[in-house]
Amino acid sequence: MAADTWNLKKSASCFRCGDATIHDIEVDTYSLKIICRDCGFTRYYKFDMVNIP
Amino acid sequence: MHLRVFVEVENLGKAMNALTDSGITGFYVLEYKGMSPQDWKGFSIKEDPKSAISMIRDYATDAVLVCSVVEEEAVDGIVESVSKALEGEKYTILEVPIRRIIVNYGDQEKAERAETWFLEKEVPCFYCGEKAIQRIRIDTNKAKIWCNNCGAARYYTIKGAE
Repeated sequence: MAADTWNLKKSASCFRCGDATIHDIEVDTYSLKIICRDCGFTRYYKFDMVNIP
Repeated sequence: MHLRVFVEVENLGKAMNALTDSGITGFYVLEYKGMSPQDWKGFSIKEDPKSAISMIRDYATDAVLVCSVVEEEAVDGIVESVSKALEGEKYTILEVPIRRIIVNYGDQEKAERAETWFLEKEVPCFYCGEKAIQRIRIDTNKAKIWCNNCGAARYYTIKGAE
């Protein structure tokens, strides 16, 4: 499993405030978080499963 | 006009290309098992569910129904195109008049905001260890991260929002 947290950015319209702004995306092994820089609205995702071919 | 084109599965591609070439803009497709009146003629089945189901499995043909809503003046051109593409094949076309259409797009603004995001990051894969592009797909309710090199994928689901 990846140990380091990835910090990514995405320009998109916020799901709550609707403004086109930067969203910070933090990805680590067990969670994923998306934060709107404009209104602070945050979506949390949790690790569910892994599929190894 | 509601145009319904019944074709056998192997002719779906031909029918779709003919419909697209003649200008349909949208469609929906239904897979079904069916029997034509010629094939059905003379059949009599026992009325228990098992017999009915096995009859469908054994005798009915796999077929597809392609439906599209088109302008009335475009129908003749579309039918001609489909007939030409499926010459010698088995097909049925139904033209059904439409009295009115009511479309509700729901919360369009919200739907636009809920688009899927695609991102990439080049790091060592958690599984194969190779430094490779890791693709990230984020939907409203779920996310997926997979290695472009080995295909190993991690899935995430929404936990909450604030």
